[in-house]
Amino acid sequence: MKLDELRSLAIAEWETLEKNHHLPRIIVGTATCGQAAGANAVLKTIEFELAANKIEASLMQVGCIGLCYAEPLVDIVKPGRPRICYGNVTPEKIKEIIHDYLIDDNPRSDLALGTLGDGTVAGIPKLFDLPMLKPQVRIILRNCGIIDPENIKHYIARGGYQGVSRALSMTPEQVIAEIKKSGLRGRGGAGFATATKWELCRKAAGSTKYIICNADEGDPGAFMNRSLLESDPHSVLEGMIIGAYAIGANEGFIYVRAEYPLAIVRLKHALDQMISNNLLGNNILETGFSFNLKIKEGAGAFVCGEETALMASIEGKRGMPRSRPPFPAVSGLWGKPTNINNVESWANAAAIMQKGADWFAGFGSDKSKGTKTFSLVGKVKRTGLIEVPLGMMINEIVYEIGGGIVNDKKFKGVQTGGPAGGCIPANMDLPVDYETLAQAGAIMGSGGMVVMDEDTCMVDIARYFLSFTQSESCGKCVMCRLGTKQLLTILENICAGKGKLEDIETLQNLSYQVKVGSLCGLGQNAPNPVLSTLRYFRNEYEEHIKKHHCAAAACRDIVDAPCSHTCPANIDVPRYVRFVADNKPDAALAVIQEKIPFPSVCGLVCFPPCERKCRRGQLDEAIAIRMLKRYASENGDGLWKQNLKVASPTGKRVAVVGSGPAGLTAAYYLAKLGHSVTVFEALPEAGGMMRFGIPDYRLPKNVLRNEIKEIENLGVNIKTGIRINNTDGLLKEGYNAVFVAIGAHQGMKLGVEGENSPRVSDCVTFLRDVSLGKPVTIGKRAAVIGGGNAAIDSARTARRLGARTVTIFYRRTREEMPADPEEIEQAIAEGINIQYLAAPLRIKKQGDALEMECIRMTLGAVDNSGRKRPEPMAGSEYKVIIDNVIAAIGQQPEIPEQFDLPVARGNVIKADPDTLAVEKTGVFAGGDALSGPASVIAAIASGRQAAISIDKYLGGSGSIDETLAPPEKELPPLEEAEEQRRPKMPMLPVSRRTSSFDEVELGYSRPKAREEAKRCLRCDKEKRE
Amino acid sequence: MNETDIKALDVILAKHSENSEQLIPVLQDVQEKFGYLPGEVMERVARHLHIPASTVYGVATFYALFRLVPSGKRMVKVCQGTACHVRGGSGILKEVQKRLDIKPGETSADLANSLETIACFGSCALAPVMVVNKTVYGRMTAQKVGQILKETE
Repeated sequence: MKLDELRSLAIAEWETLEKNHHLPRIIVGTATCGQAAGANAVLKTIEFELAANKIEASLMQVGCIGLCYAEPLVDIVKPGRPRICYGNVTPEKIKEIIHDYLIDDNPRSDLALGTLGDGTVAGIPKLFDLPMLKPQVRIILRNCGIIDPENIKHYIARGGYQGVSRALSMTPEQVIAEIKKSGLRGRGGAGFATATKWELCRKAAGSTKYIICNADEGDPGAFMNRSLLESDPHSVLEGMIIGAYAIGANEGFIYVRAEYPLAIVRLKHALDQMISNNLLGNNILETGFSFNLKIKEGAGAFVCGEETALMASIEGKRGMPRSRPPFPAVSGLWGKPTNINNVESWANAAAIMQKGADWFAGFGSDKSKGTKTFSLVGKVKRTGLIEVPLGMMINEIVYEIGGGIVNDKKFKGVQTGGPAGGCIPANMDLPVDYETLAQAGAIMGSGGMVVMDEDTCMVDIARYFLSFTQSESCGKCVMCRLGTKQLLTILENICAGKGKLEDIETLQNLSYQVKVGSLCGLGQNAPNPVLSTLRYFRNEYEEHIKKHHCAAAACRDIVDAPCSHTCPANIDVPRYVRFVADNKPDAALAVIQEKIPFPSVCGLVCFPPCERKCRRGQLDEAIAIRMLKRYASENGDGLWKQNLKVASPTGKRVAVVGSGPAGLTAAYYLAKLGHSVTVFEALPEAGGMMRFGIPDYRLPKNVLRNEIKEIENLGVNIKTGIRINNTDGLLKEGYNAVFVAIGAHQGMKLGVEGENSPRVSDCVTFLRDVSLGKPVTIGKRAAVIGGGNAAIDSARTARRLGARTVTIFYRRTREEMPADPEEIEQAIAEGINIQYLAAPLRIKKQGDALEMECIRMTLGAVDNSGRKRPEPMAGSEYKVIIDNVIAAIGQQPEIPEQFDLPVARGNVIKADPDTLAVEKTGVFAGGDALSGPASVIAAIASGRQAAISIDKYLGGSGSIDETLAPPEKELPPLEEAEEQRRPKMPMLPVSRRTSSFDEVELGYSRPKAREEAKRCLRCDKEKRE
Repeated sequence: MNETDIKALDVILAKHSENSEQLIPVLQDVQEKFGYLPGEVMERVARHLHIPASTVYGVATFYALFRLVPSGKRMVKVCQGTACHVRGGSGILKEVQKRLDIKPGETSADLANSLETIACFGSCALAPVMVVNKTVYGRMTAQKVGQILKETE
């Protein structure tokens, strides 16, 4: 049958199938990832249920549509109805769907992802309107997941082989000109102009020429080529015929890696079909052009993705690259001119010949035309195979298409280009095109895009890639063979806590040498991940080396347990949790007291960093560590005091300015080290932000007072009501050292007209006045501007002071709000409204109240914090009438001029980050005054650091570690963990919360605490290899 | 090698021309049949293709797919690709090692199990991934390791 006839037939068949099939159709995605997600079991269930219920239906298996996060996928088309795609299908679910939709008429919109094609179904969106699909431009992927990859007629019906027809009616030179006009660049990674490559091969001397499809796809994290070959093999093969014709080659090879068995099966099947339809072999479509294709399987060598190694492999040899020139275009396979292109390049050639160069060049950016498929994988919510126009921004891909980071953790960066590539940090929103990525130190590569979050260690990522390239190095060149090994060894040492500071320079130098001294792309690019991570994440290397600290808590050799490692004060969490499980709250409290003097405070208000890293969270839910700390602090007695050691007096005197967590912690440890400590506090009571920033319903005054009393019992002298204006004065008075821990008590101003009205205050002043018991008037309508904990504290306090409506105005969305999620929820439970994407413009007096004009915001490009910058939407102004406005948009330290201390951006004190020493002798700084507003536990850790530093400065050892708890008993072994979430937090009934400042959170009972403590996986006890 | 083995090998060799470029496909077919590449077999292959045995050995040891020792009845492969790594692949490997009591690259003494790591299977969106014989399992957790190993015993 001639192609035209076949085409008409195929189109008619396809139209009927799609729009007018007489039976219900069930379409199941059974590409490799569909199968890996369980599609085979679903298919079996479908077959069973159809038979059991005597339902006649047409079953079709398709490839991958790219929504891998929702696999297995099943589409159902009832005659006369739109095609409905169901996601995350299990055998149970498909049984229900068959009964509910095929037998009854309920399309089960609750289980549906979307509809395809014309028509709508109530309650089900259009599949291609979904955020993952809408921004995509699906040229390469146009048929994937839609057609049966084993039916050539489906391919032909949708425009398939039109490109071949067209090309064979032109001259080869004209075909090359068309590809040139399109601007197509090689999609294998290097981005070389495809037409130029074809031309070079065409012009090369000799009549025997070869073309090769590089389907080795060795990059870990990349599976675009596999998907395409499994889901739409003809799209690639059509491109190869076109290329062979343009170049003048009569034989071609498809080199597929052996790890892709399904792709090989589909290709074999497709080739047979092509032969039957005169699309391959002798005299293709009666044009006189003959071309044969053979499949060659790889045998497990990443280096065979490199073109000269690939050709060696086809020749039956070890896959070792050779030097170029001569280039394959001139002398390749068996010495003959050979053109090698990637799977996607060939598929693009087919699309271009089908629809025209101008059409193709309409997509993409100036120098990077067209689209590119990417495997969007890693820590992103919606993993899958996507296709976007080149030039799309990374952040749009990660957030719009990918849906953001799993578990709403912090986005850290993306890795592009596999082991030859580099990392782009989250706060650099770049367009994805060849030039931009190269400039940033990464490469486009074949399209792997691995998304990383706060739990990914960048040093570990470099180590990981080097372990890969080192084992895949063919060994031919010294620089690659030995260089990758040495780079790997250094990185392994750093990850194991054995690194030295010189290692960073060594890595840098060696990387350049390996790049320059290697023969092929493997060695030339193997150091890229090292160079890239050093460029953007150098601080992680330094922390691993200097402090044996892994911020991601990923490097198992230096991280005992992620919770204690992440705790700024390194509290031995697993140990006290085990004591709680063993019903020994006294011992548990003692463990906590070993590291901090504020167990109760932290048990009530810590944010807590440990829970974010808790490994149990990967299974079901993180251990409620803070609640267990609270339990220990409330139920433990003074056992910890029995082992407490206080050194004999040293005769040295230390002045601490500020009685917040940093100041008091430093005072505590310095007193234990035998120094005479006086704490000066400007306010009438000690505690800093703990006392005057955190409201009573979160931290009752007496709890704080008790812990401060214990510090005073050590001999620390706290003098309240004294404002220190001059550190020199203290030194002159005879203090040997001064620790400035004055916090960040200056609320930032809104910067809007009318903010000086008496009804407008900042959160620090507001909360302090309330805590001091001053009469604070709050009208019935209160507005709070901001999104952090201070905003929530202010809002909940305003509520308790009588405001009937409290509205928080935050300029970004809930996802970006820095406040603790728990706090936000509690605020909402107390009837506080939150207006997102809103910011004040001006405040005017309105009779007895205030009129605040606000404007709506929209999220624009990403700024330095890695979050999208809010931009005002012109014309969206609106007004609200309120009685009070509290600004909670940030705080900074208020440093008296006479302190004469060097100051950095954010008005924070400049000091050495390790010793906390300020440039003035004998003066140290810490807490929020040094870091800017942070947290209680960070300030406590700072206080510990200060005590160590000051003690050393005063001639001591700086040793503050001690054991206060008894040794642990042998515990029963951990049982197999079953999914179990933490017990619900007991809370005051909602109705009673806002009428007083009584504590809202009530604490676990003993049985609940013990049960919760038993969920701990004891990461610190894991055996190391 | 016994008679049956020799016959089986001859059947395989007959399918390929006596050209050295057939070396890798021949070795792939041999391994499919025998589970690994016994020394004697490699020598016979060398003779058939008119190349030195050392060349065959060189190719067999270059490519990761070829095994020179028998593999276990159940082959477990854990992916250590980037996406799998970022989503906890090393934890899965640890769990498998613990349960099978062998390290990657090893076969258990009773030839029941072999364990290997693979750089990437290409199912990255379903990371972390584990393959038992020919079946691919995605979205692995340490929990599921135990389950799947029991099911595939």
